[in-house]
Amino acid sequence: MRLLTVGGVIAYRALFNWATPSMFVGTLLVAPLFQLLFFAYLGRQLGVADDTFYIVGNAVLSATLACVFGGTIAIANERRWGTLGHVLLSPRSRTLIFLGRALPYAGNGLLIAVFTLTVGSLLLGLRIPASAVPGLAVTFAVGSLSCACFGLTLGALGLRFRDVWLISNVSLALMLLLTGVNVPAEHLPEWMRVVGGWLPITHAASAARLLVAGEGFGAALPSLWREALVGLVYAVVAAVLLTLFEAESRRRASLDTL
Amino acid sequence: MRVVRLVALGTLLHVKQFSRSQFEIATALIIPLVQATLAVYLFRAGTEPHRMLEAAIGAGMMAVWSSVLFGSGGAIQTQRWQGTLEMLMLSPRPPALLIFPITLATAVTGTYAMVATLLWGGLVYRIPLDIAHPLAFAVAVPAAILGLGMFGLLLASTFVLVPNANAVNNALEYPVWLVSGMLVPVTVLPGWTGPIGAALPTTWAARAVRESVTGAGPVWPSLGTCLAISAVCLVAGAAVMSYVERRARANATLALA
Repeated sequence: MRLLTVGGVIAYRALFNWATPSMFVGTLLVAPLFQLLFFAYLGRQLGVADDTFYIVGNAVLSATLACVFGGTIAIANERRWGTLGHVLLSPRSRTLIFLGRALPYAGNGLLIAVFTLTVGSLLLGLRIPASAVPGLAVTFAVGSLSCACFGLTLGALGLRFRDVWLISNVSLALMLLLTGVNVPAEHLPEWMRVVGGWLPITHAASAARLLVAGEGFGAALPSLWREALVGLVYAVVAAVLLTLFEAESRRRASLDTL
Repeated sequence: MRVVRLVALGTLLHVKQFSRSQFEIATALIIPLVQATLAVYLFRAGTEPHRMLEAAIGAGMMAVWSSVLFGSGGAIQTQRWQGTLEMLMLSPRPPALLIFPITLATAVTGTYAMVATLLWGGLVYRIPLDIAHPLAFAVAVPAAILGLGMFGLLLASTFVLVPNANAVNNALEYPVWLVSGMLVPVTVLPGWTGPIGAALPTTWAARAVRESVTGAGPVWPSLGTCLAISAVCLVAGAAVMSYVERRARANATLALA
């Protein structure tokens, strides 16, 4: 447990180069808020959906920036800064080491989602029922954790592919489209809905919308389970990829090749 | 004439350099396509499916702005990381003349995205390329690119003075898309955003290109305003660049500042 939590926090402080106050505020708080406003005004003008749809969806989605890039950074920056070899020399479980790294990013994601929802609601006049708040907190936490596991999977690809940032950037852009956060899922083609169903945030956004609509935690629970399952799948994929790529990089002596 | 040659050759050099980067090319090509697809589905889902071409053009302009913002905003920093900043500053030409081709190249790179977006819309979503004023469009796009490149010099020179300029970069993408009316008409935004949008060359560039496509208004006044504001940005950017260079030389912080 100590390895999972303390190790994760130390790695976060060492590797996450957006942790300075100005970078944190500019990149992780201000940018998602303007993203929310952009889509809310666009959706309002086009008559696609009401403000609630965009505020809640984009609040959940706001966690992706910290979680997807954070998960990627948690692995890829070790390689970039030449410290990956030291981590892999450790006698402890690498799976635990790397999964522990997802936790601070998930915490970050939760904070950002709460901030985005609060400020977005104040700016655009959304009233959230008090009874929905605990459920929303759980939803944001599950969504952020799921997203951080997705980020770890992308980070694991960084052990194999040189340009992992390209994969992260494209993934983030695809999540804008496929998660149904900005375009209602019924307006997307079937294949996009299927792909979106296997991406983090999609089910968390559905759960959050049900909660804000006053449907209660019971109604949101199936979506939350699906989101947790997606996160678990990515955690397992990340662990498998890390094991595979570590073995391969040892065999080919390509651990620190950039 | 020598200045024009310097800018043209410098721009060509930097465009070639960007073209060697898999990351730059893939980012410039893939992300705008995703944004264009998002815009297409949003416009289809909404009440204005007839404005699909505007959606594709808007997504293209958004990509040009992203390219200028991230490329120009970090132009000095990139030269510093590459170890080429000192060489540039040693040149006998004014520093602004050497950095301007970089910012112009970022805007030119953004045109990949504009072309890709239009092709994507035509080939995948069968959006007809019915441009109301083809000649005006052919002039408006390069002129808008030039204008945004000039604006880029102001970004490059001022961002170098800002600690953690990347944070400003990351925070500025959506606000400028929003207040410039690239996809969302400025008329639906709060009134106080109007003067901000009116002061930005991005607003007039997007407006000129849109007017050339839809025929909804006269292209030339918008384009003229875009270029006039951009010229002011170019002069201001050149002044700030000279100040930054002198300060860096005096403090011996060129490679460190």
